[in-house]
Amino acid sequence: MMQRLHILPMLGLLSVLTLAAAPAGAQEPGIAAQLVARGAPADFADRVAQIVASARAEALPTEPLEFKAQEGWAKRSRVPPERVLAVLQQLVGRLEQGRDVLRDAGLDASGPVVVGAAEALGRSLTPEQIRDVVRSAPDPAAAGTGLTVAASLAAQGLPAAAAARAVSDAYRSGRGPEEILEFPSTIADATARGERMVDIGQRIMQGGMLSSPGGSMGGAGTGGQGGRPPGMPGSKQGTKTQTNKP
Amino acid sequence: MTGRDRFHPDVQRYLDGEHVEGVAQRDIEEADRFAKAVLEYGASAEAPDARVDAAVMEVVRARVSQREGSFWQWLVQPNLVRIRPALMAAASIALVASGAALVSLLPRTSPTVADAVPTVLVRFELRAPEAMRVTVTGSFDQWSGDRVELQQNTATGVWSGTIPLTPGRHEYSFVIDGERWLPDPMAHAQVDDGFGQVNSVIVVGPRGVVRS
Repeated sequence: MMQRLHILPMLGLLSVLTLAAAPAGAQEPGIAAQLVARGAPADFADRVAQIVASARAEALPTEPLEFKAQEGWAKRSRVPPERVLAVLQQLVGRLEQGRDVLRDAGLDASGPVVVGAAEALGRSLTPEQIRDVVRSAPDPAAAGTGLTVAASLAAQGLPAAAAARAVSDAYRSGRGPEEILEFPSTIADATARGERMVDIGQRIMQGGMLSSPGGSMGGAGTGGQGGRPPGMPGSKQGTKTQTNKP
Repeated sequence: MTGRDRFHPDVQRYLDGEHVEGVAQRDIEEADRFAKAVLEYGASAEAPDARVDAAVMEVVRARVSQREGSFWQWLVQPNLVRIRPALMAAASIALVASGAALVSLLPRTSPTVADAVPTVLVRFELRAPEAMRVTVTGSFDQWSGDRVELQQNTATGVWSGTIPLTPGRHEYSFVIDGERWLPDPMAHAQVDDGFGQVNSVIVVGPRGVVRS
């Protein structure tokens, strides 16, 4: 049977099919294949893949699991495979907790937000602090960034309440995630100048807001000049990370 | 004359001038009357007016000329084609497969290092004068272990390297001589890696990680 079709819709259809095929072709190989390619035993790779698949089936983000599996295999000289699998299971549990904290409050539980919530839980932020950060963010992507930054601030030594407050106050004052991402550098800058975490935390809880690196605490007025960072050539040891856009 | 009242094939052949036997006399008479009527009609019909013919051809030529003169019009105007559905499906499958094959041939790198945009350059440094080889590895290179090698300044013993990172949080570690994992003392934070060791954390902003 012959049919008459408009050629332009046909070309459009073919283009869509081709574009749809592109991501499929561009996909990285699965985690099992990646691990085997790095020399991991097939049974270990398969068990990792099963954990990742079950997480995916629960609509949990899988990237943190894949990274942790890759990290565990990279450290295989000190870490037995069974330990890697156990850590992956723990990470699944934390992701589930992060998702539940969000879902219980009717908040967005998409991948980046769940990852951020899991990280924040791992740094002792409370569920209410996590929800407050999410509610303050302008969108889910910003919420994920805010939670990740809050977790990092807590990992730097800032009290969890102050870490969450620094992010949520910044969002509520209209600042964007690109500014929030500078906060860990701001804290590192301040501590390199001799400020104590507890003092920084107190000022945040009193309404002082973090600013860009070098400016330290807006509102608190600590200011001061940026010092030569440790790790610069001439210092004993360490990394200096200074960047420019390529 | 419709399909239903066509002549019998033998009568049709008779009308075409062929010698046919066995046709009923009644059918031959009817066919003769039909042929006579056709001839009379043809004789009475007037030839078309030459002006009408010229006008019609002028319009036809103008349309043909218009189509030939504009590729864009040909491109955007609907064109009817006839195609077999099976052929259409086969062509689609072939096109999709070739597209996927082409994409799969493109060079691949770590999605967090080079594919994502924008990235900022982050410089890693470690003073380790006794080391023979230093790499930095982390979530940004999918913990490859040895892909990002630092270069040594033999005068200072400082190993350094600059790599593009996407804004966000990255966990990483230095690896000395392929076996000793060492956290970065100047990272934003150190966190338990779950394996009994420590990972370093940096959070990269759009302006990079500015430490001074």
